[in-house]
Amino acid sequence: MTSLLNTLANALEQIVLEVTDIEASTVLWLDGDSDWANEIFPEAKSQSAFTISQESAFLFDFLIDAKAIWQQQDNKKLRSGLWTEVTTQGVELHLEAIAIKQASRNLLVICNQHESFNIQQQTKQVAREVLLSYDRLFLKSEYLHTRLLSILNQPSAENSQILTATAKIIENAEFAVIVASYDFNTSIENAAALRLFSQDKPLHKTQSRPIDIILTLMKNQLPEYQRLLSTHSSWNGELCWILPPSTLKWLKIGFHPVKNKLNDVENWIIFANDISTMKHLIQRNEQLALQDMLTKLPNRFAFWQMLEKHIATKCAFYLLYIDINDFRRHNEFYGHDEGDKLLIELSKRIRVGAKATDYFARVGGDEFAIIINNIDSKQACTQVIDRLLTQLARPFYTEQGEHYNVTISIGAACCPIDAVSAEELMKIADLSAYSGKNKKQNAIQFYSTSLRKASFSAIQIERELRQAIKHQEFELYLQPIIDVKTNHINKAEALLRWHHPKQGLISPEHFITIAEKTGLIINIGEWVIERTCQIAKQISELGVNLKISMNLSPSQVADDNLYNHLTQCIEQTQIDASLLELEITEGVLVDDYIVAEQLLKKVRALGISISVDDFGTGYSSLVYLKKLPLDFLKIDRTFIKEIVTDEHDKAIVRAVIGMAHTLNLCVIAEGVETEEQLSFLVNNACNSVQGFIFSRPIQLQSFITLLQQQNQHK
Amino acid sequence: MIQKKICLLGASSVGKTSLVKQFVDGIFNEKYLTTIGVKVDRKTLSIANTELNFMLWDMEGNDSYNVFQERYLRGAAGYIIVVDQTRASSLHEGIDIHTLARQVTTCPAILAVNKNDLPATWHFDDSEYENYKRLFDLNFSTSAKTGSNVEEMFSALASLLLRLEKNDITS
Repeated sequence: MTSLLNTLANALEQIVLEVTDIEASTVLWLDGDSDWANEIFPEAKSQSAFTISQESAFLFDFLIDAKAIWQQQDNKKLRSGLWTEVTTQGVELHLEAIAIKQASRNLLVICNQHESFNIQQQTKQVAREVLLSYDRLFLKSEYLHTRLLSILNQPSAENSQILTATAKIIENAEFAVIVASYDFNTSIENAAALRLFSQDKPLHKTQSRPIDIILTLMKNQLPEYQRLLSTHSSWNGELCWILPPSTLKWLKIGFHPVKNKLNDVENWIIFANDISTMKHLIQRNEQLALQDMLTKLPNRFAFWQMLEKHIATKCAFYLLYIDINDFRRHNEFYGHDEGDKLLIELSKRIRVGAKATDYFARVGGDEFAIIINNIDSKQACTQVIDRLLTQLARPFYTEQGEHYNVTISIGAACCPIDAVSAEELMKIADLSAYSGKNKKQNAIQFYSTSLRKASFSAIQIERELRQAIKHQEFELYLQPIIDVKTNHINKAEALLRWHHPKQGLISPEHFITIAEKTGLIINIGEWVIERTCQIAKQISELGVNLKISMNLSPSQVADDNLYNHLTQCIEQTQIDASLLELEITEGVLVDDYIVAEQLLKKVRALGISISVDDFGTGYSSLVYLKKLPLDFLKIDRTFIKEIVTDEHDKAIVRAVIGMAHTLNLCVIAEGVETEEQLSFLVNNACNSVQGFIFSRPIQLQSFITLLQQQNQHK
Repeated sequence: MIQKKICLLGASSVGKTSLVKQFVDGIFNEKYLTTIGVKVDRKTLSIANTELNFMLWDMEGNDSYNVFQERYLRGAAGYIIVVDQTRASSLHEGIDIHTLARQVTTCPAILAVNKNDLPATWHFDDSEYENYKRLFDLNFSTSAKTGSNVEEMFSALASLLLRLEKNDITS
């Protein structure tokens, strides 16, 4: 038996020692015999007990933990982890020790783990080389991207100066950098770009330009290509370039628009890195090739393969495309490390929310996708989504313990109802997520043909809005606000209208959301401020001191340039700032409290008054009412509509008026249409009213006439 | 002879093994070979006529494939957090490891900002970087490739340990 154990120990490259004195670390050699063992324990040759010396520092240290095992009564074992011991001959041994307590016997097994060591080293070597390469590529292109953007965004510099500066910066980059015009004519390409895309073609054949190769690859390999172009979005990802007979390159592409204030693309910056070597390294390890390094989830390629397999089974399933809202802003605010942490934490939470049978992957920078198996109803899919959202409702924490919340946009598409190819499914799920995107809240959007139409229509509206800004197709209408005590106009709200060249007059509800989503609201908002100041000036020149209020969107409140623009307009028109009022919705005041507070303090110091628009529709937290410098509350029309018949609405309006007066705020009721509504508001001490009962929003000239008529009747 | 256990810690690929190799054998190898587990090397230093034997515990870098194990710090007289000045993330990871190490030991800690033969690519502001450096007993900008400050770092650590030992004895 001993002989058999000895043979077994030798085969496993192990030696078994029995501990004879725990305190003195004295052991007796039981089984196993090999040169490597004799090298590390030369004193054991005498066949008698020997003491493990400090010569092997690692093993000697491990004995401290081992003693705790041997001194216990229960059967137990403890592994030391791998360590490397160098013999007197200079040979490296890769060992592991196991302390065992078994049937009251104390054993120490030393294993020669050279095979396990080699496997671990090969795997980790590849993994770490890949991590390093990604790290370096990311850092370099990120840095260059920031510098190029800052140069290309300089409005004052001469075009030629910009090009010279840009060319200088990119000329020595190790990877391909291309700067192209909005219509993809190359302005600059560096030497690395020409090297990377050089083609083995006969001399008489024209070489394709790097930009054309990249665009063709994107068009053929990215279902979201058209959406990226039409929405002027950035994209980072990998493309495979095959050009027979000898070219097969994996490219890591960064594709970024440079936009002007009108959100028009003026240039494209494109980075291309040859990551073929990295891919090769990755492919040496199948698991890594299909795995996302950061989250350890399957990557885009793995997901694609799985999606095709699922389609082939012909069983119904839902594909969810998940996009983190405002992830870029999060990265800019907290830094990339925190951004990575968020992606990891978010992926863990989604994992918890999903079932084990669902397939979940990271398919882009801040994009995840899930295949929800065996369901074909919207209702069942909504239940899954609700579970996911519950997981994300808890706050996330930064390294410093700061907490923040994240919202996501989910696009959902069903196979086979909505599409039956992987490409089409990914494309429509992505489109749905993008269409439903709402920066402040979680958004779920199921795919439908009307959605596709709406999406195309939104792109069309965005294009037309840009034209509208250029061609000044907007006009401000004014709606009078009446002082209940005097029954006279004491203020007017400026309301935006768009004279569409084909569709005629368009109200803001049809385009403001798109303007907000695309950033065009900043330009439109600036125009509104300029025009409001001009109108205030024109009316004041008639000898009437009438306040004009204008609406600010969330993006405008967050815009650093808003205050400067406002003061510039006031200076240019030389109006009294107290003739202006800003209307901000309560959502903005709560969400961007700090930003709003700073802005409101400054504008109020100028003499501009502030009103809270749509009051009562959003948030229950009223703390901001006490803390922020406010003047008016505008009760939303939804409470006024049923005020005569609905006891709840009556109670709410009375309570709001009471609370506002306690806080020294005046109240304006919006949407007043009937004498009964007016009578209720007058009887309950509402300060001002606004609505069709007095006047619809009207053009400036009509408003002036109305004012003049009123003054004649005074 | 006085024997001291010194641990080299840090993210993977920052140059821990190369620093030990440079210090012990005066060799640098361009090829990166990742360390698995632990390897203990020894080198004797002579500081002010006192012989000191350093047991240098070169440990596998910490990343998503290998988590930091506090137990390896047991009995350490000092530890060196190695970071790579071409990778800002390695400094953050180094600081994280230092925080974990501080939970189990109060022994002297050195920050070795390695690869000073290459241009630094991190863009920390001075106060941020100074705050990081202040967390350590000693700071060195090293290059395992050129040998810059490698000997100096280990000698300074040896002197510090001897001084602490002397203070212990006299007090």
